[in-house]
Amino acid sequence: MFGSLKLKKPTKFLILLLTSILIGAVNAAIFYTLTMESQFLVSSPVIRFSSAPDEPSGSTVNDAWCMLNATSYPNATLTYEQALYIENTDGSNAHSFRLRHLDVSPVNGTATVGNWSSIKFMVYNSTDFVCSLNYTVSGTDWILEPSSGETNYYSVPASTSWWIRLETLSPATATTGNTCYITIAVDVQQ
Amino acid sequence: MLLLLLPELFALLASDLFLLLSLLTCLLEERFPKAIPYVYQAAAVMGFGHLMVSKMFLTVFDAEMRFWYNLFYLMVGLANIIAVNIYFAVSQKTWFLARVWSLAVTFPTLLISTFFIYNYGYLQAATGPISTLQIILMISFAVLGVSVFVLFSQKILEKLGWR
Repeated sequence: MFGSLKLKKPTKFLILLLTSILIGAVNAAIFYTLTMESQFLVSSPVIRFSSAPDEPSGSTVNDAWCMLNATSYPNATLTYEQALYIENTDGSNAHSFRLRHLDVSPVNGTATVGNWSSIKFMVYNSTDFVCSLNYTVSGTDWILEPSSGETNYYSVPASTSWWIRLETLSPATATTGNTCYITIAVDVQQ
Repeated sequence: MLLLLLPELFALLASDLFLLLSLLTCLLEERFPKAIPYVYQAAAVMGFGHLMVSKMFLTVFDAEMRFWYNLFYLMVGLANIIAVNIYFAVSQKTWFLARVWSLAVTFPTLLISTFFIYNYGYLQAATGPISTLQIILMISFAVLGVSVFVLFSQKILEKLGWR
């Protein structure tokens, strides 16, 4: 039956065009779903936190976030020499990071802010000081240093750990039992 | 934001090239065996198979393996375009068609393919065989560009005594 069926060129072309559109659209749709799948693959962070020898007791350290439970003493500087490691897990590439202030409480203007003199987060590499994000108190206000609330980006070499040195100081007049909360983001450039 | 360039793009591109070949060979059906447009349609469906395999085994196959089998399919597509070009020139002896085909089909498709392969290598910070492939493609593209220019330049052909 179909052996004697001879299609004219325009008809043949039209049929081929329609099937081409169908094949092309299906392929494009599959490619699109592939793109979406690839974009949401979960991977471990390249630069991550890890526990250091002088980590404050009661702290929680995970790959992508951490909570340091530090203490400060009136009229005495308390130093956690290696409070936290910042580790580049990439074995072949350097990656950059920065510290960025997010939030602090009690907020400026609150009388209890006067219970602290300074809280300093200083980043060190194996030999030298790299950068710091400092919170000092003037009256009842927190003064950020640098004032922008963020450090520059610094490149951590491949398979290298840097550490954060944490220094706390309260004035002689500080009242025990007060707590402050500081939230800092670590931005990483992939 | 850096867009992710998947190796499956080569399969998608090759599939579209086969569809293009199918339509063009249909338009020039008097110069080809009747089954050719349908063979190219079937080859385009093979691209669908490539994409499905990648989708099913996305987490199993690594990026390099996916790159090579998708690239192979693209190379088959490009080889067919070049083969049609040679078919016009050698078997059919239709120089005009061969020249038009090389300018309108062969050259642009090779240009586009080179562009995507080069970009893929660049985004993946390619080393080894992929970076060598980039260099080979760039050289081939340059040679092809010069060839097409010569092919269309009547004066050069006349000077060379080829016409």
